[in-house]
Amino acid sequence: MASVTAFAAIDVGSYELELTIYEISPKRGIVQLERLRKVIGLGRDTYERGIISYERVDEMCRLLHRFQLVMAEYQVENYRAYGTSAIREAENREVVLDQIRVRTGIEIDVLSNSEQRFLCYKAIAAKENEFNNIIQKGTAIVEVGSGSTQISLFDKDALVTTQNLKLGALRIHQILARIGGMAEDRKRLAQELIDNEITAFKKLFLKERNVKNIIATGVCAMYLGRGAHADKQRISAEEFMEFYEDLRNMGEDQIAEKYDIPSEFVSLVVPGAMVYKRLIDATEAEMVWLPGVRLGDGIVAEFAEQKKLIHFAHDFSKDILVAARNIAKRYMSDRDHSAVLEKNVLNIFDGMKKYHGLGKRERLLLQISAILHDCGNYISMKTPGECAYNIILSTEIIGMSHKERVIIANVVKYNTMEFDYTTGDVSLNKSMRITIAKLTAILKIGNAMDRSQKQKFKDVRISVKDQQMFITTSSPESILLEEAMFSHRADFFEEVYGIRPVLKKKKGA
Amino acid sequence: MGEERDFRKVEYFENRELSWLQFNHRVLSEARDKNNLLFERLKFLSITASNLDEFVMVRVASLKDMVHADYKGRDIAGMTAGEQLEAIGRGMHELVDVQYSTWNRSLLPLLKKEGIEVISHHEQLDEKQAAFVDDYFETNVYPVVTPMAVDSSRPFPLVRNKSLNIAALLKKKKGGDKKDGDKKEGEKKDGEKKGALEFATVQVPAVLPRIVELPGGKDGTRSVILLEEIIERNMDRLFLNYEIVCAHPYRIMRNADLPIDEEEAEDLLKEIERQLKRRQWGEVIRLEVEEGIDKRLLKILKKEFAIKDDVIFFINGPLDLTFLMKLYGEEGFDHLKQKPWKPQIVPEFAGEDDIFANIRRGNIFLHHPYESFDPVVDFVKQAAADPQVLAIKQTLYRVSGHSPIVAALARAAENGKQVTVLVELKARFDEENNIIWAKRLEQAGCHVIYGLLGLKTHCKICLVVRREEDGIRRYVHMATGNYNDSTAKLYTDTGIMTCDRAVGEDASAVFNMLSGYSEPLSWNKLSMAPLWLKNRFVALIRREVKCVSQGYEGRIIAKMNSLCDPVIIEELYKASAAGVKIDLIVRGICSLKTKIPGVSDNITVRSIVGTFLEHSRIFYFGNGGSYEIYMGSADWMPRNLDRRVELLFPVEVEENKEQALHILETELADNVRSHILMPDGTYEKPDKRGKALVDSQAVFSEEAIRAAEELKKKKEQLTSGRTFIPRERPEDV
Repeated sequence: MASVTAFAAIDVGSYELELTIYEISPKRGIVQLERLRKVIGLGRDTYERGIISYERVDEMCRLLHRFQLVMAEYQVENYRAYGTSAIREAENREVVLDQIRVRTGIEIDVLSNSEQRFLCYKAIAAKENEFNNIIQKGTAIVEVGSGSTQISLFDKDALVTTQNLKLGALRIHQILARIGGMAEDRKRLAQELIDNEITAFKKLFLKERNVKNIIATGVCAMYLGRGAHADKQRISAEEFMEFYEDLRNMGEDQIAEKYDIPSEFVSLVVPGAMVYKRLIDATEAEMVWLPGVRLGDGIVAEFAEQKKLIHFAHDFSKDILVAARNIAKRYMSDRDHSAVLEKNVLNIFDGMKKYHGLGKRERLLLQISAILHDCGNYISMKTPGECAYNIILSTEIIGMSHKERVIIANVVKYNTMEFDYTTGDVSLNKSMRITIAKLTAILKIGNAMDRSQKQKFKDVRISVKDQQMFITTSSPESILLEEAMFSHRADFFEEVYGIRPVLKKKKGA
Repeated sequence: MGEERDFRKVEYFENRELSWLQFNHRVLSEARDKNNLLFERLKFLSITASNLDEFVMVRVASLKDMVHADYKGRDIAGMTAGEQLEAIGRGMHELVDVQYSTWNRSLLPLLKKEGIEVISHHEQLDEKQAAFVDDYFETNVYPVVTPMAVDSSRPFPLVRNKSLNIAALLKKKKGGDKKDGDKKEGEKKDGEKKGALEFATVQVPAVLPRIVELPGGKDGTRSVILLEEIIERNMDRLFLNYEIVCAHPYRIMRNADLPIDEEEAEDLLKEIERQLKRRQWGEVIRLEVEEGIDKRLLKILKKEFAIKDDVIFFINGPLDLTFLMKLYGEEGFDHLKQKPWKPQIVPEFAGEDDIFANIRRGNIFLHHPYESFDPVVDFVKQAAADPQVLAIKQTLYRVSGHSPIVAALARAAENGKQVTVLVELKARFDEENNIIWAKRLEQAGCHVIYGLLGLKTHCKICLVVRREEDGIRRYVHMATGNYNDSTAKLYTDTGIMTCDRAVGEDASAVFNMLSGYSEPLSWNKLSMAPLWLKNRFVALIRREVKCVSQGYEGRIIAKMNSLCDPVIIEELYKASAAGVKIDLIVRGICSLKTKIPGVSDNITVRSIVGTFLEHSRIFYFGNGGSYEIYMGSADWMPRNLDRRVELLFPVEVEENKEQALHILETELADNVRSHILMPDGTYEKPDKRGKALVDSQAVFSEEAIRAAEELKKKKEQLTSGRTFIPRERPEDV
């Protein structure tokens, strides 16, 4: 029995709470046992009043308690609970989460938008057998949500960018409802609204990319799928257009009845369909895939991956790196310099393994920091640190949590600035500050090793001995400039680690 | 071609109440059928009486409510509530006439011939019998009756719904009998009204047996008399100092429908408890009196119960024929009764005791009462004791008095399992019973859901969640009949036991919805009413039409209790018109009409009325050659499809499909128990000339016995043989 792990994923969404119980086993992979959904309109509170009301918290606690009974029923020991935008954007978020923790014992973590998308994407990859084939052909994952639309683009087999457009089905519906007037006028207006956003997206991100497949996720897609073609996981663009024409000419009641859509969702369907329609037009996609995944599927996939219960064919950290390199490219980083820097910092990181106590994830953060370290130059050569900081904080990197992004932004910032232990950034907690200091120290050293940006340091060896870290290079070129820059940065490194980095030229070189 | 035909015309539909009366006539015809054994005929007659009682209490009552509410709507046959009541009234009177002519002209004489004398009037008693009766009254009856006289100081008493009573007119004895001194005062008071008639009523006590056997007569004849006759004979002992002018039995029926305003009711449970008390106070909607009742007495009853002539039934014989069921239960007379049926062992459960292992071997089809209900009870019992079982979830609609299933569920909760039970409190007439054991389950630690607001939960499903070597496995039992081990011996029902993953997932979703969660994102195999089931049926019917248009045969066979949903009937008409061949086996109400040219030429309807109550719902769709069979809890009635939680499940395993199809085919071939619906709305038995007799219920009984015997033989071979038989692999996991 030990080979089977029961797991519960709790999705505290903006519109409904969802509990999914899974079983993970090497033999059958991830199997869904049970899924419970209940509508609790957290989003209505957050979006309208900025905070989540006590009544809603109470309602949530009672439901979570019932979830716990179901978890007990399946003797679930492992669970993860995630909150999304309604919690994320609530001003009283911390108090709400604490209330829930005290009353139910359930710890809810807040997902950043990009983490949330990344989990969804993991769910698709875990569920869809043909996933790796589909994305070879130029693919976009599109989730039309109630508040926004998320578009993630693939290049070959890796995710390159993800963008959040303010085009939510509910948002469109509300704007139109406020306007009133003739139905035809409203539809035209909605079209314009959508086209504005999509045109901008096309210009900036889509460019010449050839999107053949659209993978549609989210509630909207699910009900659209039901209407466009029941029981099918994919529909052709023509089939979708036919369905769209049909939809356009019906009232909400008719739609609800004909396509078996619950009345609480039907008002989202038409605006949702409109967004998909315009996207298909803009991309000239040929096929729409409807994998029907939920956030819970991603939560369990991540858990199973982390606990090494299952193995994915797809390499997800590669996606994150590709996405980061794409951002660097957009801000015209020096690719050769970055590549050497990446190599150097990772070398140091690995060599210092015994002393820094950091893990794989921090290694990835360091790597991304290296990739993005000079993106600030794009805006200002005078204050590249601060500019990079701002760029990173306002750019979504798929798979990164908000906290992780803050760490990367700070590491990059202090790479070119004096480290400030009393930094005013209020979002930093103690452990984040320490991580930032440790990674910054390494990045500073790594950067110093290529001060001339001529990639002199090749075949670098790192060894630590007697409170000293020896960086040995076999470079035949002079490293005078590097050595000159080095000592100041080495001071900081020593401050952080209590180890003095020393540059050494291999004898005979 | 091409033109839209209107299949919704009122003349294409039969009113459901009138169709129901037809059904009761079919049951009555079994009481009249000379081929049936005498006591079986008594039983059928008794059933028609209890059927009619329920019909009046529920259906007539709700029509009355509509008339009071001035509701002007028309039913699918185009009738208003008032028109229906009028037609039903006529029909009921006709039915009652046939009931009593059957009793008086056929059954009573036959009983006498068999040496059983039912003394209908106490005047017929001989001296010895009379003495016995008087003594019986003194010792047994007198202590429990409450005579109630009515005068200006004592208001008309509450007469209980469905109770049997005796009304009498009394007259002060001339000069009075002075032996009772206490009476003096009253005498004086009534002195000036001397000679006036007074009204009195006595309830025939329900705690005493209705039938009283008299001491053995000559030549072994057994004589019985009815309790009300004993009381009537001794009325004067209840009203001393009075002369009994006349005394006649009567019985009333009140409006018993439960219109619960759920919006207002804080607590459903409390509301029903309150309703139960109130029910006895409902409007009187039927009065049965003995034929030849004194006119003055009748006038008083009419006035007090505020009724019109059309709801008065003059009965030529004993009131409330349900006592015949008691007579059936009397010791002896075995040669006049059909041998009691003993449900046979289910072959799939013969080899091994572990129910779960048996189910893992493959889906199991159950056909009650031919096959035993024990596996279903054992399913819950075993789950309750099994340490690997994590949870049991079950719906309960009507259960038996000392239900072993309820006991097992309570035990399971005590054993620390998560037990969820949906108890339907609104199951008609069973509320009181249901509340008691629902509370018991709750005390044991079960999570009890007391039904859903606005919906009756009628589906029959039991889910067992079990932790096994390779993970969680769910076992599901779904059926057409209730979890009631008593009725499972009398009702024909079918069910499936399975551990199919997709069904298990759906079963969990069903209970989640019943617990108030949102609908699942999608269903695998089950269809649920009221949200999806009707559309599913419509789609299945339309698929047959499509088959025809593509050159395949279109074929539907459907078996159910009642058919009166206008949407479904319209679809059936369209299918028939398109050339789909449709055979329906509908035991009770059928609002569909057959052989309407261009509308229902291709539809036949038959009703099977037999020893067992036909109760299973099985649906066959030809699907262009790869046929599909479904079973479920729902009839094709608006109340099932729109106002109840019902389930439809597919029969998937080839062997099970054949079993289900065999049931349908045998019933279509039945020419003994079946009645065919004629174009004029009446039912006729099929022409048997030159045909082998097929009694479907007898066929299924014989088959079950044969299967059990074969098993026994196999077992004997096993134990007596001189060779060893290697076991096959026990299960395929």
